[in-house]
Amino acid sequence: MRAAGLDIGSRTVKLVVIEGGETVLTRKDLTSHDPLEAARALMSGVEYDVIVATGYGRHLLKGHLDCPVISEIKAFALGAKAIQTSCRVVLDIGGQDTKVISLNEGGEMSKFEMNDKCAAGTGRFLEIMAYALGYTLEEFPKAALSAERSEKINSMCTVFAESEVISLTAKGAARSEVALGIHRAIVSRSTALVRRIAPSGEVFFAGGVALNRCVEALLAEDLKRPVFVPPDPQMVGAFGAALHADRSIMKGTSHA
Amino acid sequence: MHETVEPLINDEYTGGPPTKRVLARLQEKRKEGRKVAGVYCGYAPTELILAMGISPATLCAFSNGTIEAAETVLPANLCPLIKSSYGFIITDTCPFYGLADAVIGETTCDGKKKMFELITDLKPTWIMDLPQVPDQEEAITHWTAMIRKLQGFLETTFGARATDDGIEDSIRDINRRNAMMREVFEFAALRPAIVDWREMYDLTFLAQGSSGKDMEPVLSEALKKLAKRRDDGYSYGPAGAPRVMVTGCPVGGDAEKVFAIIEEAGGVIVALDACSGFKPYMTDTAEGTGDPVRALAERYLKIPCSCMTPNARRLTEMTRLIEKFRPDAVIDVVLQACHSFNIESHKVGEHVEKVHGLPFLKIVTDFSLGDVEQIRTRVEALLESC
Ligand code: SF4
Ligand code: SF4
Repeated sequence: MRAAGLDIGSRTVKLVVIEGGETVLTRKDLTSHDPLEAARALMSGVEYDVIVATGYGRHLLKGHLDCPVISEIKAFALGAKAIQTSCRVVLDIGGQDTKVISLNEGGEMSKFEMNDKCAAGTGRFLEIMAYALGYTLEEFPKAALSAERSEKINSMCTVFAESEVISLTAKGAARSEVALGIHRAIVSRSTALVRRIAPSGEVFFAGGVALNRCVEALLAEDLKRPVFVPPDPQMVGAFGAALHADRSIMKGTSHA
Repeated sequence: MHETVEPLINDEYTGGPPTKRVLARLQEKRKEGRKVAGVYCGYAPTELILAMGISPATLCAFSNGTIEAAETVLPANLCPLIKSSYGFIITDTCPFYGLADAVIGETTCDGKKKMFELITDLKPTWIMDLPQVPDQEEAITHWTAMIRKLQGFLETTFGARATDDGIEDSIRDINRRNAMMREVFEFAALRPAIVDWREMYDLTFLAQGSSGKDMEPVLSEALKKLAKRRDDGYSYGPAGAPRVMVTGCPVGGDAEKVFAIIEEAGGVIVALDACSGFKPYMTDTAEGTGDPVRALAERYLKIPCSCMTPNARRLTEMTRLIEKFRPDAVIDVVLQACHSFNIESHKVGEHVEKVHGLPFLKIVTDFSLGDVEQIRTRVEALLESC
């Protein structure tokens, strides 16, 4: 039995197929302006017996494939728990939202909070700031990590922060120091959410922004708690959806 | 509804917005020569207004459509309810305001208080100074005086009169109405559910400014239908659907998107704990005290609104509701920029989770549709955990 999980995020679509508890396929691509088409392209030629969708575009797929859907919260909780059995706190910073999920001993979601009203403090924010400073996404964290000190960024609104960055560089501030300031700003937003939902314990850090080494390091420093980044942090949601699909076959039902 | 049953109120307005039905009734009252007083809030003393032969009309406040106009004057970062109300007035699109001969407001939250200042010149408007530490003796004395002053205002504006005996009668009449409403709620509490939230909302909305006498036929019919549904073994919503109690700011019109999302996510709404829902009907006024206005003051100051401090009653009332309606989850709806409900949500959440062991979700929203998908994700995640 092959169980697939599809995570249609705001920036990327991710697909994971598992068989007998092992991941047999992972794919990802940009969501683009046509998430349905992006999902179709990602799934083409992939064989599976059952599929579960998650992510902000999940209902879109549901309408076309008539497959069950689960929320991203549940998908991340399931995925994280399977990757790290001791996991109790999940932080996911994606392209357009940040969520923190706390899990009970049984691995079930007990509390969650999301910040998704705007791009403040998300992957999209990082992208725009990197661009404003003339860095690629790969260079950006490296530059920030190389800085000795940081410029303080006061605004978390993407639009205001961008003009703040521009005026800082116009005043002659070092680019790398502004870059570190941006990273700190993102991190303080996320840690506030983490502290509110889960005051202690190691943090399982997932989502596209978990690929950013500087954010990872600053998170651990700011929270004074260990931070664990799984090998492929962007795939956690799709993996969780695949697990859900797999379990529903075992339960003899494909309903979410 | 997967089986068809006769709606609790079955008239030409069934299925449409409940405002139309209320408007038609008010227009009738108007034809009979009754005066109409526009009200905005649960603190407006219905019993007194009715005793004076005046019909209270809840003014429109729930449309996204009037917000843009309001924002030409009001700040964008303000509660949508206040913006919408004001927008309705300046665009002259609230038929209730059009009907109203006067408007009654209360100093509940800063936003409303200051918005009222902008509309006082348009129609005779009376603002009641609401004490906000409600359990003190002085608060009751003060609110008693405010109700008397309102009476004075209505006397001079309308030439209307009410004797204390008349007010006493009105108290008894509204108590009867509330008791009947609570009988309806008993049916709404059944497990599995037998009532659609829209039907509950139709009733709570209609009853708001209505006397017990006017509501009696509607409610007796509804109660009969409910008893039949129960006896027939009818159930509303999918089998095993998680039961949801919604608490918080008033919800109606465009904010009903939250209710729709809860249903789409597979939940069934069993209790509406807000001024737009069950709140106005949960407490009675003491009868035969010899001082009906003071009795009213005591009753109204018991409304567990977040503008009060401390507002411990919100939690005790909530416990009562949770025990009766046995929800599987509680959702607190906070309108954007409503600081008092937003801050209070922390206590409400702790109460729901720690005392009742139920999953809890706070949703901060406005009347636009921009956040529907974000709300959906949260609600689905909440219901998945039930
Ligand atoms: S929530 Fe408070 S301010 Fe709003 S209508 Fe109810 S009593 Fe009035
Ligand atoms: S919802 Fe809150 S801010 Fe809005 S009118 Fe009511 S009390 Fe005031």
